[in-house]
Amino acid sequence: MSTTVRRRTGAPYLFLAPALVLFGLFLAAPIVYAGYLSLRRVRVSGLGLGSGSRTEIWAGLENYTRSLTDPEFLPSVLRVGAYGLIVVPCMLGLALILALLLDAGRTRVGTFARTAIFLPYAVPAVIASLLWGFLYLPRVSPIVDVLDRVGITAPDALSSSWVLYAVANIAIWGGTGFNMIVLYTALRAIPTELFEAARIDGAGDIQIALRVKIPIIAPSLVMTTLFSLIATLQVFAEPMTLRPLSNTISTTWTPLMKVYRDAFVRNDIYAAAATSVIIALATFVISYGFLKLVGSRAFSQEN
Amino acid sequence: MAVTTVPVVPTTTGATTAPRVQRHRRTSPTATILLLLGAAYCLMPVLWVLIASTKSASELFTTFTFTPSTHLFDNIAFLTSYRDGLYWRWMANSALFAGVGAAASTLVSAMAGFALAKYDFRGKSLVFNLVLAGVLVPAVILAVPQYLLLAKAGMTNTYWSVLLPSMISPYGIYLCRIFAAATVPNEVLEAARMDGAGDWRSFVRVVLPMMRSGLVTVFLFQFVAIWNNYMLPFIMLGDDKLFPVTVGLSGLLNQGATQPAMYTSVVTGALLSVVPLVALFLGLQRYWRVDLGAGAVKA
Amino acid sequence: MKKIPLLAGALVAALLMTSACSSGDDSDSTADPNEKVALTYWSWAPNMDKVVAAWNAAHPNIQVTVNKQDGGDPAVAKLLTAIKAGSGAPDIMQAEYQKIPTLVSADALADIAKEAGDLKAKFPEGAWAAVTLGSEAVYGVPQDSGPMMFYYRSDVFDKLKIKAPATWDEYADAARTIHKADAKQYLGTFSSNDPGWFAGLSQQAGASWWGVNGDSWSVAIDDATTQKVAGYWGGLVQEGVIDNKPMYTPEWNAALNDGTQVGWLSAVWGPGVLEGNAASTKGKWKVAQLPQWDAAAPATGNWGGSATSVTSQSKHKAQAAEFVKWLNSDPAAIKLLAGTANVYPASVDSAAALTEPPAFFSNQPDFYAVAAEASKITKPFTYGPNVNVAYSSYNDAFGKAAESKKAAEFAGALATMQQATLDDLKNTGFKVAG
Repeated sequence: MSTTVRRRTGAPYLFLAPALVLFGLFLAAPIVYAGYLSLRRVRVSGLGLGSGSRTEIWAGLENYTRSLTDPEFLPSVLRVGAYGLIVVPCMLGLALILALLLDAGRTRVGTFARTAIFLPYAVPAVIASLLWGFLYLPRVSPIVDVLDRVGITAPDALSSSWVLYAVANIAIWGGTGFNMIVLYTALRAIPTELFEAARIDGAGDIQIALRVKIPIIAPSLVMTTLFSLIATLQVFAEPMTLRPLSNTISTTWTPLMKVYRDAFVRNDIYAAAATSVIIALATFVISYGFLKLVGSRAFSQEN
Repeated sequence: MAVTTVPVVPTTTGATTAPRVQRHRRTSPTATILLLLGAAYCLMPVLWVLIASTKSASELFTTFTFTPSTHLFDNIAFLTSYRDGLYWRWMANSALFAGVGAAASTLVSAMAGFALAKYDFRGKSLVFNLVLAGVLVPAVILAVPQYLLLAKAGMTNTYWSVLLPSMISPYGIYLCRIFAAATVPNEVLEAARMDGAGDWRSFVRVVLPMMRSGLVTVFLFQFVAIWNNYMLPFIMLGDDKLFPVTVGLSGLLNQGATQPAMYTSVVTGALLSVVPLVALFLGLQRYWRVDLGAGAVKA
Repeated sequence: MKKIPLLAGALVAALLMTSACSSGDDSDSTADPNEKVALTYWSWAPNMDKVVAAWNAAHPNIQVTVNKQDGGDPAVAKLLTAIKAGSGAPDIMQAEYQKIPTLVSADALADIAKEAGDLKAKFPEGAWAAVTLGSEAVYGVPQDSGPMMFYYRSDVFDKLKIKAPATWDEYADAARTIHKADAKQYLGTFSSNDPGWFAGLSQQAGASWWGVNGDSWSVAIDDATTQKVAGYWGGLVQEGVIDNKPMYTPEWNAALNDGTQVGWLSAVWGPGVLEGNAASTKGKWKVAQLPQWDAAAPATGNWGGSATSVTSQSKHKAQAAEFVKWLNSDPAAIKLLAGTANVYPASVDSAAALTEPPAFFSNQPDFYAVAAEASKITKPFTYGPNVNVAYSSYNDAFGKAAESKKAAEFAGALATMQQATLDDLKNTGFKVAG
């Protein structure tokens, strides 16, 4: 079966032109520029106060060594790893269960639940983190308040032993609905005949879900996992918003926060660029590794 | 290797009217309870913000958090009067950035996705791999170099500085390629060509209508992404009359040590800023479909 | 087929047009008195646009537009990026005193010594030193200052029959008494989120974290004076009589409202924050001088306060300097700064504009007398070119220390700050003594 038509015309290039121009200007050029900056640094002379006391010079790989040997860098990478181990399975597990429940059609609250669970997707991460911040702080939190009334002392969500879960919860809250809709759409597309036979053989909903539905929507699961992984590596807005509320989130809590701190707080865009390049490379390696691992070609071309 | 596309029928029918016969089956209390628990988890913070926005500044910090008060309209009135209605200007800016940016991005993505799905040409896999790589790049990393480059063109602190970078969405192109491959049969293109239609004409007359529900999805994606974007406008814009609502609200929150944070205004503003998105989703729900696996290859 | 190149063409044309438009106005920089100029001013003080309206009405040829900023840190981050990019900076910039060396070092501020003329006499010595960095150049005009003072809930103090602490020993005793009477109540909190606050407290004790010796910098964050201050707070936090949660959070707001935070070491701008965060406690607060290390030699530090500077990218520096001068020294402008923008003007003439106490402190008629006294006893303090590094290091190191509630960790945090600051200076190539 041929999937494409009409070879050897200029048309595809013209269709691609706007995308390529924009891609070049606003994605490729900035990335190349970041790569260039990562090899530069500023050199100050003397007190550094007069104009012209600053010059930009080549730095070689110095920014990379500084970034990788920063004692805070490895912990922040490990933290993001732990965060990903919490967020990705919890979020996708919840999304899959909820999507299967919706698809099984054994409830009258389906439309309401679907809309309600999807709602957080419309809330910007900055605002979601602010809301959850209120819900985490013991003195203003309704959760702590209610638990207190029934005699349970809730742990301080932003204390060092809980803060990782507190941040992960915001991501799970915001992302479950979206992934649920993706999986639900895939489930709805399964032809009924494929599992009616199993049902006639006496299989229950759970068995049908495990043996028929989940294998069929595996490509969708792979894709949602991949996109969740990428989002995980980029965790930034949630800890950034919660940081001023607690003692437990440092300015370099995740690698992207370090980029932000170097670029905007320390005014060292060269170090920020070097860390950015490292993060970008790590993202590629992990995404590629994941796709190799699951053996899926979902993310590549069909032919 | 057999190429099997998961059969979807994504023309004008959306997810809510999927072509499957609805069976009348026993309802399961367990399913209902689990779904309601999920809904409660997702709605609780929203309910909280709804209640919090009815409280006056001192009530917000003194009364039991789930007791509503009566100050919603006072809060909205205060927010409206804040610096001569600046808040509504931020909302209008957000609508402009998200509306125009998402529309342009959808068209650009549709053209590129169509070309990638339906043509063979030299450099195709290079372009596609570039797009995939683009999906992986975090916005925070792009913000500074984008700023430095746009500043060289003297374009920072203008609407363009936010609009133009928002128009390119590798993810949108990726989705459009899937939608085009799944919904536009080659026979239809051939038929259009037989009728003497040029490439552009058949794209506008035939392809775009067929991809409609996919394009709505891409539009919504991009609309939400731009509406919720913080980093790009934060760094590009200096004039607060150009701010979108995310940057404006975070400014009310982080006023620096010498000013009190305007919590009631932030809470009320946050509530109001989510309303257009929710309305848009409910309104376009019947077109909404995401089938990431649809273009997948199974061995 | 024809529309695609058209669309792409239109995009490119739009790009070119916008860049052409915005680069069209760099023509001349000579000051023609009749030339109409438009200036932008980045500020985060409330109602600054209303203060500027008075200038605009009187100066039709020099029109100033205020772009309100989120606060000192974001504004400086944006300014530095614009300077690096070569365009995008405003003409005039509100800059906190501690940011001035950083901005000067990045060549972001213009020297307006020529235009400033004899302004020096109109400002306290410390504020003037902060805008000149001890040189002949003038990098801005002091706008407002933030001498630190002590705010406390007089109703709670009266009930427990204690009076406002005159020394830090008395402050510690009061903290113990209050926490003992009600385990939920604290006299204050140690905030790992406010490096400026801790710098002010160290300044009061006599610290000066940076220094200039000839052509090299020195860093003295981990000196005996600051160690004394950090040790004092570490002790109180470890003892549990002072809270360890950051200020400026919803949690802290709630604590101010429900009377569990009954004291606040703040600065002259404190009433505005208290009114915004805990309006219901009006009439219960009083202000006094900071508790002292040496009651015989009273002193205080600064928290907040800023200058108005002309940026190096401004194309109309003379006109901008004229505005900056007016804003901070004209009696009418000072009145507006104090009354409308709610800042404490740095000018020595500000007393004339500040006769009534702030509305939230109408119960204390001598509010501005206390403030004027605090202003007088503010100790000198030198900021270095990498305050941002020291301050973000403070956030992280003292965040850990406060969370641990161990006094020893506070001393360690100070050493971490010192090291980070010193390493950064050396690494960037500044000449560093010692």
